[in-house]
Amino acid sequence: MSHPRVDAIAGKARAAIAAAQTSADLEAVRVGILGRSGELTQLLRSLGSVPAAERPALGAAANAAKTELETALERRLAEVGAAERRRRREAERVDLTLPGRRPPQGTVHPLTQVHDEIVAIFAGLGFSVAQGPEIETDYYNFEALNLPRDHPARDMQDTFYFSEDTLLRTHTSPVQIRAMQGQRPPIRIIMPGRVYRRDADITHSPMFTQVEGLAVDRAISMGDLKGTLELFAREMFGPRSRIRFRPSFFPFTEPSAEVDVLCFLCGGDGCRVCKQSGWLEILGCGMVHPQVLRNVAYDPEEVTGWAFGMGIERVAMLKYGIDDIRLFFENDLRFLTQFA
Amino acid sequence: MKISYAWVKEFADLALSAHDAADRLVNGGIEVAAVTPLAPPDLRGVVIGEIEAIERTLGESQGHRLVLCRVSTGGRRFAVVCGAPNAAPGVRAAFAPPGAVLPGGRRIAAAAIRGAESQGMLCSERELGLGDEHDAGILAVDPEAPLGADLVTYLGLDDFVLEIEITPNRPDCLSVVGVARELAALTGSRFRPPAVTLKEADEPVESLAAVHVEAPDLCPRYTARVISGVTVGPSPAWMAARLRAAGLRPISNVVDITNYVLWELGHPLHAFDHATVAGGTIVVRRARKRERITTLDGQERTLTEAMLVIADRRHAIGLAGVMGGGSTEVTTNTTRVLLEAAYFDPATTRRTARALGLTTDAAYRFERGADIGALLDASARAAQLMVDLAGGRVARGVIDVYPSPRPRPRIRLRMERVQRLIGSAPSREEAARILGSLGLAVRDSRAGLDVEVPSFRRDLAMEDDLVEEVIRVWGYDKIPSTLPGGALSLVTIPPALRQEATVRRALVGAGLHEVISYSFADPSRDALLGDADVDKPLPLLNPLSQDASIMRRHVLDGVLDAIATNVRRQQPDVHVFEIGKAYGQSRTDVRERRWVVAAVTGARARAWDTPAAAVDVFDAKGLAEHVLAALGVRHPRTVPGRARQVFEPDCDGALDVDEEVVAEFGEVRAEIRERWGIAAPVFAALLPLDVLAAIAPAPARYQPLPRFPSVHRDMAFTVGESALVAADVEAAIRAEAGPLLRHLTLFDVFRLPDGRRSLAWRLTFQAEDRTLTDDEVNAIHARVAARVSERFHVTLRGTG
Repeated sequence: MSHPRVDAIAGKARAAIAAAQTSADLEAVRVGILGRSGELTQLLRSLGSVPAAERPALGAAANAAKTELETALERRLAEVGAAERRRRREAERVDLTLPGRRPPQGTVHPLTQVHDEIVAIFAGLGFSVAQGPEIETDYYNFEALNLPRDHPARDMQDTFYFSEDTLLRTHTSPVQIRAMQGQRPPIRIIMPGRVYRRDADITHSPMFTQVEGLAVDRAISMGDLKGTLELFAREMFGPRSRIRFRPSFFPFTEPSAEVDVLCFLCGGDGCRVCKQSGWLEILGCGMVHPQVLRNVAYDPEEVTGWAFGMGIERVAMLKYGIDDIRLFFENDLRFLTQFA
Repeated sequence: MKISYAWVKEFADLALSAHDAADRLVNGGIEVAAVTPLAPPDLRGVVIGEIEAIERTLGESQGHRLVLCRVSTGGRRFAVVCGAPNAAPGVRAAFAPPGAVLPGGRRIAAAAIRGAESQGMLCSERELGLGDEHDAGILAVDPEAPLGADLVTYLGLDDFVLEIEITPNRPDCLSVVGVARELAALTGSRFRPPAVTLKEADEPVESLAAVHVEAPDLCPRYTARVISGVTVGPSPAWMAARLRAAGLRPISNVVDITNYVLWELGHPLHAFDHATVAGGTIVVRRARKRERITTLDGQERTLTEAMLVIADRRHAIGLAGVMGGGSTEVTTNTTRVLLEAAYFDPATTRRTARALGLTTDAAYRFERGADIGALLDASARAAQLMVDLAGGRVARGVIDVYPSPRPRPRIRLRMERVQRLIGSAPSREEAARILGSLGLAVRDSRAGLDVEVPSFRRDLAMEDDLVEEVIRVWGYDKIPSTLPGGALSLVTIPPALRQEATVRRALVGAGLHEVISYSFADPSRDALLGDADVDKPLPLLNPLSQDASIMRRHVLDGVLDAIATNVRRQQPDVHVFEIGKAYGQSRTDVRERRWVVAAVTGARARAWDTPAAAVDVFDAKGLAEHVLAALGVRHPRTVPGRARQVFEPDCDGALDVDEEVVAEFGEVRAEIRERWGIAAPVFAALLPLDVLAAIAPAPARYQPLPRFPSVHRDMAFTVGESALVAADVEAAIRAEAGPLLRHLTLFDVFRLPDGRRSLAWRLTFQAEDRTLTDDEVNAIHARVAARVSERFHVTLRGTG
């Protein structure tokens, strides 16, 4: 099915398609043949003026040629396009070992990270968060906690004073008193916050951060305290961590205990960090002293409670292997960016 | 407190090593800071040898005459080269034969010295690691010392020193006997308290001394004995050695005896030279106003009426419970001793010692509470030692002024209470046995264990104290591990904490690093950051240093510290923030207010594909806007020039909502940052978190997404040098454009060569119900352009 007029156009078009080297060349060929005023388009448009006898043959041949050329154009375009893209990539080749364009990323202070971790663990155990002022009265910081004036236990917490009666809290325990004054048992709270003691060396900072916990209810025992702290230690220091209770003394708890966690560096064999003892001192705790309960008008025969307190700096130092507490407050970026 | 473990073992049948004993104490609640061997741990094989003869001289070496000695260890003889000046025939001394090991692991072997073979070494104190002495020569011992005996054992140095650290409630463990009692209870072994046998002479004590207690409230009990005919001289070696192990310096037999008894029984004693106490009469009274006394350390001290003194008929001769006076000190001329054993009020002792800056072994014990019942035993024990070691004679009887004897408290322990508090309990019999082993008298009654508390355990005042005693000895490891039951309740987090978390997340996401700095400040730096716009400063009465003597009133203080630290350490690009408190004193009260302060200096970012651009004030403003957006505070108004004095006057602004300032930003004044040693500009944003907490965030509401296309038009204005600000133009555009204006974005700002600024906005129009036509938009656009340029006398640069 051919026609000399069609063959002439098609032959020329085939040659042009084969010769085309760029997609622009091909586009020119397409426009010249199949475009609005292209040769083949013109021919098809002029079919009406062709004698009726010739018309079917010419029409069929022109349509067949149109289909063939469209296919040829498409195929050649694919070849030429691929070649073009290859050339362009070669021309614009990039060094992919250059650093990527990263969005700026800040860091959360390591003390905040540990603080949030501790709060999250206890929130998961049903503890609400309570806060209180840092500038406290002697009553809330000492007296209400069974630490009368001239008690030698006050030596354990060297205090910053503003006046005889106003001071910087030495622990977050005054929040216990304020919380208990404000509500009836049951109580389950943790109290994070800044505290201050007049002491400065590589393991003591005049300002540091404490988290205390308090639970008061009708039937709550030291066994519950131990179980709770075991759960905490496993969450904080890993599933294999263990704790031990040692008798100790705090004026606001009785009985009192010091809690050690099995050294997670040496696993208890003894190393530099645990000073060969295999254990790391991590927090103090005990059963709330009956006098403290009476001070907030609770009846110690009716309710019992326990409290614990730990230094966030100490936990962070152990967790990250930091040997100087002052690094936390120096804020060297090379330090801060290590805990992202 | 340092004590010898061998001394402890005199009073308890202990089969444990010193280290095991220390572990047991630690698990029983008595802290042991260190267990130290008295002799160097690697010292081995050194024995007592006698120089039988000096065979010959070998010549000089470094100024010493070297000799070849014949040394005998009883069974064997050795030829030994020695250069010590005290090497002489008949001297018995420390001898290290071949095979012995000296401190540092130095093994002794036979060696050739100056042509002679030396079979071992005669050693000085220093070579043995037992002291500093070396120049005097070899360590000589008693000529009767057993030949060939192990030197360390002979000197009593095969012992350990326990360094005990007690909690304030356990003064009873501040003695050898106290620790022995505790260890016996903790290990279930027998405790053997020291037996005191005192032989008194005929002369009655009342004929030699009298005691008047004028302040029985501060001195509930005072006892005195008199020991005559003493010869003051050095203490015997065994006593001096024990005192040295305890860290005390031996002085003389009489003084050392009081210290020895203090260490052994825990009760402070004082020995007066009887001859210097006027009339032999002791008066215990409050000090007179501005009364003076020269204490044993040679210091003259001025007293107050709150202090208690020991006086004679004329003047103060001692600070009760703290330190004796110089005028009545025992000297080598003393022949008669007045021995004080008393109980002083803890609080008064503590206040006196603190006021005078004196920390003494006596005050340390009195302020924690001495044993009022042990005075007579301590006094008798010391008197007996003065007989034995100083040749004294004890007057008959003891003066004991104890007007109102203290009753022994009785406490009932219910086993149900133990169970309830601990969650577990030992048997009743076991509990009774434990309490008994601690020296408490226990009677089993139907209602519980009735306990009588001895005078040395003043810390035991109520039932729960006994619960701790029982559990402590029973073992804290036996406390069960359970979880609290009870009803569930909602976990609440304070809004302040949640707000801070939101702010922190926003700023960290924006590339800033969180810092935490001290709440203390230097008063002059703090004032430089602003005095007029804040509360009065809060000074500390007892700051650690002048540059940390007040509470900071500006959180920026600490943030500038952080920037300064980093800039100084070659890190010029610092983008940080702190969430913290500022403290101050208003007219009525003390206030702690929460702030977030963000500050930037240096380059905004450094990357290989873009030049580093320095941060500017719009970074600070952007951070403020970013935090406000995170907190849901929408459309704050910018008020230039309204921020506090910390910023440069022409580069500061406030953001406010309903006339309330919610943020301040600007360039930190050069004078301020230079004071911090920061050379590059610093831009900061300060946001009062307490103020922001009171502004309820606009609740999020869904807006239907536009269904019809939007149309953009740009317009640029040229603005002169006038005080005209972009925000005003923007507000006018909004007002003129009407409701079809969906977005208005300032997209270009630049300065023309003539100094005027060009500001270009893109206006986005959109209707909710139809596609806008070009004609419609063009009409609004033309009207806005005309009205705005007319109203502000700005020139329309172009529209499109």
